[in-house]
Amino acid sequence: MAKFKWETEWKEALARARAEKKPVLIDFFNPG
Amino acid sequence: MDAVTYPNGKVAEFIEKNFIPLRVRFDAQPLASDFKVTWTPTLVTGDANGQEHHRTVGFLAPEELIPSLLLGLAKIHFDQNQFEAALSQLEKLLADYPKSDSSPEAIYLRGVSWYKSTHSAKPLKEAYEQLQKVYPSSEWAKRAAPYRLL
Repeated sequence: MAKFKWETEWKEALARARAEKKPVLIDFFNPG
Repeated sequence: MDAVTYPNGKVAEFIEKNFIPLRVRFDAQPLASDFKVTWTPTLVTGDANGQEHHRTVGFLAPEELIPSLLLGLAKIHFDQNQFEAALSQLEKLLADYPKSDSSPEAIYLRGVSWYKSTHSAKPLKEAYEQLQKVYPSSEWAKRAAPYRLL
């Protein structure tokens, strides 16, 4: 599997994005 | 995406280096409604404030996902009037993934970025000429058609 770790909460992802000065990649997925 | 694209080493490295990745169900509220998600997978590239700048819907193979994400990074810079940074991402896309599905739009956006940073019409005409030569049937060649008159 992928080496990176997905965030699962919007607020936490945005907080990290601002702190690390990175954009966000949001994957809206269907778990099936 | 889970079977092919995300396990790819280059993809994982690219995402880890360039993004904060967030994964949510397609029906997670209020996010799914806020982003008007209607099909999966929907991939949204947003800035650090959560503002959307680029999206794709549907499966992307590794060799298409990375250039699509490069295009998304370029659009973030472009939308923030950071044209040199946008050009850097677009040049990388076109150098590393010249035959990707994102390339025609990258050629178009590169021309517009050059125009906005130099106020010279020459890059717009060059974008049209390159699109006509390499991707004559693409929608971006059509969108650039008026630049032939410059």
